[in-house]
Amino acid sequence: MALIKLEDVSKLYGFGDATTLALDEVNLSINKNEFVAIMGPSGSGKSTLLNIMGLLDKPTHGTYKLQNRHVDRLRTAQAAKLRRDTIGFIFQSYNLLPRLTVLENVALPLAYKGIGQTRRLKYASSMLERVGMQNREYFYPSQLSGGQIQCAAIARALVNNPQIIIADEPTGNLDSAGSRLVMELLSEIHKMGNTIIFVTHNPELTRYATRVVYMHDGMIIHDEKTAVGEVAKTARDKMYSIAKKTVEDDLAGVSLLMNLVPEKDYETSKVPTKKKTKTRRRTSGGKNRKKRTR
Amino acid sequence: MSINVGHIRAAVVTMRANRWRSLLTMFGIVVGVASAIVIVSIAQGVKNSITGQVNAFSKNVITVGASSQDPTGLGLTSIPFVSTLTYQDAKAIAKIPGVQVSVPLEVLSGLPTGDKTLRHGIVFATTQNLPQVLNQTLAYGAFFNDQDSNAFSAVLGSNAAIGLFNDPIPLGYSFTWRNQQFVVDGVLNSFETTPFANDTLFNNAVFIPVGAADQMSLYNNPVYQILVKVKKAALLPAVAKKIKTTLLNSHGGQADFSVLLPSQIAGSSTSILNLMTELTLGIAIVSLFVGGVGIMNVMLVSVTERMHEIGIRKAIGASNRQILMQFLIESTTVSIVGCMIGIVLAVLAIFSLRAATNLAPAMQWPVFAAAAVVSILIGIIFGSVPAIRAARKEPIDALRND
Ligand SMILES: Nc1ncnc2c1ncn2[C@@H]1O[C@H](COP(=O)(O)OP(=O)(O)OP(=O)(O)O)[C@@H](O)[C@H]1O
Ligand SMILES: [Mg+2]
Repeated sequence: MALIKLEDVSKLYGFGDATTLALDEVNLSINKNEFVAIMGPSGSGKSTLLNIMGLLDKPTHGTYKLQNRHVDRLRTAQAAKLRRDTIGFIFQSYNLLPRLTVLENVALPLAYKGIGQTRRLKYASSMLERVGMQNREYFYPSQLSGGQIQCAAIARALVNNPQIIIADEPTGNLDSAGSRLVMELLSEIHKMGNTIIFVTHNPELTRYATRVVYMHDGMIIHDEKTAVGEVAKTARDKMYSIAKKTVEDDLAGVSLLMNLVPEKDYETSKVPTKKKTKTRRRTSGGKNRKKRTR
Repeated sequence: MSINVGHIRAAVVTMRANRWRSLLTMFGIVVGVASAIVIVSIAQGVKNSITGQVNAFSKNVITVGASSQDPTGLGLTSIPFVSTLTYQDAKAIAKIPGVQVSVPLEVLSGLPTGDKTLRHGIVFATTQNLPQVLNQTLAYGAFFNDQDSNAFSAVLGSNAAIGLFNDPIPLGYSFTWRNQQFVVDGVLNSFETTPFANDTLFNNAVFIPVGAADQMSLYNNPVYQILVKVKKAALLPAVAKKIKTTLLNSHGGQADFSVLLPSQIAGSSTSILNLMTELTLGIAIVSLFVGGVGIMNVMLVSVTERMHEIGIRKAIGASNRQILMQFLIESTTVSIVGCMIGIVLAVLAIFSLRAATNLAPAMQWPVFAAAAVVSILIGIIFGSVPAIRAARKEPIDALRND
């Protein structure tokens, strides 16, 4: 049984001529304990999709069933409650409230649940310990590194013991060491039985995922299951080469990817790898090359 | 409930983080609360001393005034230019059953001159029972009695003694008034001075026997007031009624006089005070209102500035109500702290007024309570617009806002 089930979900922004189709009849179902990476170029609708799944936003059309319950037309109060109890969020930046200590930040969701001060601080403290931040409890966010802030954000996302963790580019502002720290942590949480959905631009990080969803122009153009510990095939073969600096490279990579994926067969997890594409890798850095073990 | 404690704490944290802004925001509330409390306390203090005086010396005393209206309620300006009350009226009133004594106060012109000329004084012709009616004793000497009612003797108010002779005990001294020599028999104790009351008048007064004035051919002097002391408080209304009928008879049916009970005296002298209090209170309320608008303005800015925070809070499960409460408590905290600062300033002002003036402001707990309640209401009312705005914001829009 699917934990999350989106059917023909569309999202429109704006009116009249300025209308943007951010999501175009997306169908997606995610089962319990999946670790889903969402990839795709900028503006492809990744965040929009995540926000709808996280009940922060409502779809313009289509249905969304969370735990078999229709949630696409929830009233705000109900949505807030469901969000509080079943979903933990990690954002790319400005996750923590600057005027609260790390401990208070982590305890905040429990406060909104109505749990007493002593109990929630105790619980928040144990969460911080779980993410290896026990000695930073009384620090303010401004006194932490980017990686530490994200770890604290993870602790906060976990504090309500939610089934689903939603992370929009959680490593977007981190260096490779910080990214690893955060992803290892998410991976551990995944092993405990949580369902995790995250957006990333870094194909390397698909290593941690059990499934990778590729988006373009508001549509899911490819969806593959991957083994944990391996970079997703499509990502490895195509996206490596397009994680480049220039827009042209970006566009080229995307169109390449488009060519590779048969129009009617978005759901296939097997994508033929063409040797021809290897030649494009000449632009990729030595660091990436080294990691591609063959 | 625990969330509310958290909110208050969070509000205090926010206020500390923006110390100057918070202080400026509170300014209107501080000024409004402080001035309202000080004004009400002063007014109450003055009223207390007026009623205290009235109760002390005008107890059981009916005041018969010279005109049917008391134009201002201020003793000083109610001295009539034309008076139809006479010494005969006072005598007639004395015969009414229940009346203990009836004392006329005639106002006479002319400046008495002792060692110096008394410039800010007034000469009253009266009878021996005046101290009894005023419930006042003599500091030195004795009041003239009916035996020497024709003698040219005088009793001075405490300030008049200084004014004439520069000597607090001028017994046996003589002064000239209208070419007639008077000898000082006694000096009255000082009347406690009260703003807007008659007492300063008495402290500056020179009292001479009615008979002496008659001998100087000053007949039909205008009688300023007839003070009528009644035997028992219970008799006051009946006696007042009888006085009215008696005087109406002798005045040919003209109600050209006023008969005031002790309670009415206090009432009339506080009416102007009440008006002034109300006007100044109005200004204080305007200040509170301006303070409320200030709070609203700053809270609106704060909500805009903290959109992202609101987004985060909503994403992690805050309901609209909880966000609403957060901002309402924040604005209310600002107004309550402003109120507390205002109260402290008001208390300081009241104590310094007590030390430096004779106003004796009276602090009253209901006023403090009212100030607190009004401040809380202002925080809630003016904070609600920004708070509702924060609460209604869709989480996704709040998060996108940077
Ligand atoms: N509030 C909005 N109003 C109008 N258009 C919007 C709004 N939010 C998103 N869009 C549009 O919807 C599309 C999808 O945006 P979305 O943020 O989901 O992209 P994304 O895949 O997350 O991109 P990125 O990788 O840069 O974060 C974009 O074309 C964007 O311009
Ligand atoms: Mg995005």
